[in-house]
Parts: sequence; structure tokens; C-alpha cells
Amino acid sequence: VAVGDAVPWQVVDHYENPRNVGSLDRKAKNVGTGLVGAPACGDVMKLQVEVDENGKIIDARFKTFGCGSAIASSSLATEWVKGKTVDEALKIKNTDIAKELCLPPVKLHCSMLAEDAIKAALADYKLKQDPNKEESEKKA
Amino acid sequence: FCPGCRALQPPGPRPDLFRLMDCDRSFRVDAQQLQRRFRSLQRAVHPDRFGQRPPKEQYYSEQHSSLINKAYQTLLNPLSRGLYLLELHGVKPAQETDCDGDSVFLTEIMEINEKLAEPKNEDIFEEIETLIKVKQEELTKEVTAAFERDDLQEAKKLLAKMKYFANLEDKLKNKKIPS
Repeated sequence: VAVGDAVPWQVVDHYENPRNVGSLDRKAKNVGTGLVGAPACGDVMKLQVEVDENGKIIDARFKTFGCGSAIASSSLATEWVKGKTVDEALKIKNTDIAKELCLPPVKLHCSMLAEDAIKAALADYKLKQDPNKEESEKKA
Repeated sequence: FCPGCRALQPPGPRPDLFRLMDCDRSFRVDAQQLQRRFRSLQRAVHPDRFGQRPPKEQYYSEQHSSLINKAYQTLLNPLSRGLYLLELHGVKPAQETDCDGDSVFLTEIMEINEKLAEPKNEDIFEEIETLIKVKQEELTKEVTAAFERDDLQEAKKLLAKMKYFANLEDKLKNKKIPS
């Protein structure tokens, strides 16, 4: 590691004390699962959300295999989605994640992967709520 | 080397690594031939042989030697070889911002990672190692076939899959090193 490439303490913190590591029951109707990968670096990220009957995210878990920045980005993502509604969570931007973690430019793609994971999880949840609607939309 | 005075010249700009190692520009390489070529080139340009030569030649020898190392490593490993071939064909490599959504494949990768991360399963490591090797061999065969029928996009997709397995291979190696 070259001088000037110091890992931001925020990343180290999430790496050493990750929040919300684990899994939710992906078969449950109110659980959305997002599974994404970054082909350039081979990182994989799984993010899951549990949504209550009011559309509010009440729990979130993640499992990420990759670099510290990818782990930190997904850990932060699970912290941020909790308490938000599905629509509010969709507004989370990778730039906010990157800023919060002080990610260097070379690691910005990790925050993008986290944003993709959130969107994938929420899309999966939405699909489970109304599969018929999705089918008829596809046919239209 | 200069034909007139036999002094070592600098390496050319943007060398073609296949040409340097005297290999056809193909995904199929003869590993033994590659190794022979590597050794014979290093015998000619290695810095150890240039201790008595002028500093400029010593510098060129370091450049040549390190270039030959790079060429050898790139062409020896199927993943790096495939990616280099794509580059030569003008196919853009997977961008950092690309996102993979292949659920089935990613689930498989996740599961292997999770098994590897379990602290107690030392005996499972052998099982996982074999699984990874088998998958890598399968993928290498598929990549060979894709390049042979000039399906560069398919080769690119398959090489992306190989990247995930290469990472797993590295993680496994690190686990085996006693800390």
C-alpha cells in the first residue's frame, strides 16, 4: 500500500465492526433479495430487506465477499435503508455512500455496487408483492 | 540487440506479448514451449549478464527482463491470457461500473464463499479446492471454444465468470497459509 493510499477510518470501522451481517428468509413474501456482482473485480454482494405492511423497511442484512470498500458500502447501505420506505430507499445514491465513507476515486465503483444491490433487493420485493401485475406489464 | 555493435537496445513501444514469446495470437498456448522461450529470452537479457556493460544497457536489460516476466505471466494464466487477447481484439474489458445480475451463477459463487468463510471447516477446503479447479477447467474449455469460433462477447462473459473463481482460488490459498 503506497503512502497516501490510507484506508479511510470509516471503511476500517465497517470492516472490523460490520453491521447487519447475515441473511433473512428469502422465501418470505415480505423479504426482498438483491444479489449483484462486479465482473471487473469479482466482488459479490447480497443485500436483503424485510418490509412491513406499511411499506417500511424494518430489517436489512448483507453478505459481501470482496474488498473492504465493498463490504463497508453494503454495511452502510443496510444501516441506511432501515426505517425508510421502499420509495425513500430507492433514492439512496452511490455518491452519498461514497461521501459518507470517504471512498477514494478508485473505489467509487464499490458504492455503485451497493446502490445496485439496494435497487435489486427492492425490485425483488416489489415483484413478490404483485407478480401478476409484473406479468401483465411484461405482456403489454 | 544492435546488429552493428551488439549493444542492447531498449524494448519497442507497446510490444505484442504473443509475438515477444513467439506464440501465435491464440488462446491455445503450448505451456512447455512458452516456458522454453521464457528461459531462453531471460538467458539473453537478464540483468545478471549485463553487470559489465554500460549503465544504459543495464537499464534496457532490466526493462527487457521485466517485460518478458510480464509476458510470460500474462500468457501462462488462462484468465490473464484471455483478457489480453480481448484487449488485442479491441474488445473493451469489463468496466468497474458494470453490474452482474446472473442470479444462478452469483448464488453459486456466494455459496462457495460462505463455505470458505466458515471457520471450522478445514476438511472442506480440499473439497472446495477441487470444485474450484473443476469449474476453472470447464470455463477454460468454454473460453477456448468461444475464441475458436470468434465469439468474443461470449469469451468476455466467460472470462468474467473466471474472475470470480480466480478470487476464490486466491482466498483459498490465503486460508492455507498458516497465519
